[in-house]
Amino acid sequence: MQKTIWLLTGFLMSTAMVFSSCTTVNTVGRETPVGTRQMIADKRVITDATLNRKVSIVGLNENTTSGGFLQVQIELLNQRNSLQEFSYNFEWFDMNGMLINTPASVWIPRHIEGREALTITAVAPTTTAKDFRVKFIENVR
Amino acid sequence: MMKKTPRFYLIPLLSSIVIGGCATHTRYVEPTGPRTLVTSEINIQDFSYAAEDMVKSLLVSGSLDKTPVQPAVLAISRIVNNTTQQIDTDMLTKKIRVALNQSGKVLTTTTMGIGGIAEDPLAKDIQQEKEFYADKKEPQPLPDYTLSGKIIEKRDSQNKIRQVAYIFQLSLTDGRGLAVWEDEKQIAKQGKQSLIGW
Repeated sequence: MQKTIWLLTGFLMSTAMVFSSCTTVNTVGRETPVGTRQMIADKRVITDATLNRKVSIVGLNENTTSGGFLQVQIELLNQRNSLQEFSYNFEWFDMNGMLINTPASVWIPRHIEGREALTITAVAPTTTAKDFRVKFIENVR
Repeated sequence: MMKKTPRFYLIPLLSSIVIGGCATHTRYVEPTGPRTLVTSEINIQDFSYAAEDMVKSLLVSGSLDKTPVQPAVLAISRIVNNTTQQIDTDMLTKKIRVALNQSGKVLTTTTMGIGGIAEDPLAKDIQQEKEFYADKKEPQPLPDYTLSGKIIEKRDSQNKIRQVAYIFQLSLTDGRGLAVWEDEKQIAKQGKQSLIGW
C-alpha cells in the first residue's frame, strides 16, 4: 500500500514538473512570403552538440544597408519544449581577414521559448567588414 | 605498518585550509564575455548591450548619411539618469561614440557641451586662440546632430520574485530641432526576493 502511494506521488510530481517547464510557442504567418531572403551557405563548427541539439541554426540571411554596412540575420529554432538560455557573439573581419575590434562587440544573452523560432540580427561596425563569425554558448551565469 | 592516527590526516587538512584561506580567488574575466556577474543593479554588460543595440539601430537607419558633408559632426547633449543608482552616463555614450567614430560616419566634437562647458577645455582654448590670431575669424563649425537621452529604472515584485527593468532611450536631433532617429532598449532582470530589503 505504502509503495503504491510513493509511486503515485512520484508519478504526479514528475508529471507536474514536465508540464510546468514546457511551454511552447505557436506561430502563424503568410503562407507565401512576399519578401525574398538572401540565404547564404554557411560553415559550422559544432563543439557543443548538446546546445546544437537544443537550439539549432536554421539559416543565415545577409543584406547590405543603405550606408554600406553588412547586415546579418540568423534564424534559430528551439528544438526542445522548454525554455533555453544561450549567449552569442559576432566577430567581424575585413577584406584581409583581420578581426575588427569594436566596443559594441559583446556576448549577448538570449532566451528562447520552447519550439520558438528566433532571429538575431547584427550590423557590421564598419563598411570595411566583409566577413563574420558568430559564436554560441550555453549561459554560464 | 605504521598505524595512521587522526593526527596524520588532520595536519595536512588544517595546513591546506590555512594556506588556501590566504589565497584570493579573484580572477580576471572578459568584461564583454559571458562570465561576468549578473546583478540586479545596472552593470557594465547592460551598458554594452544597450550601446550595441543603439549603434546597430542608428547605422541601419541611415540617418547619419543625410548630411551634405561626411562624416557628420555630433555633439553629446544631456543623458538623464532617472535610476536610483549613481551612474556615469559616459559608460553608455562613450561606447556609442567610439563605435560611431569607427564606423566612419560620425566625428564627435569635444569643444562643445551643455552650458558652454567643453569636454576638452584645452582644445577649446586652442581653437579660440587660433581664431584670435587668424586674419579672418571663421565661425566655429556647428554640429549636425546632438545625442540626448534618458536611463529609466522600473522595479516590480510578485510572489517573492523581483524584477528590475532598465530602459535606455536615445534621440538624435538635427540642426532643425527634429529627432531624426530615436530608439529604446529595455533590459529586464528577475531574481528571488531576499528576506531583508528588496
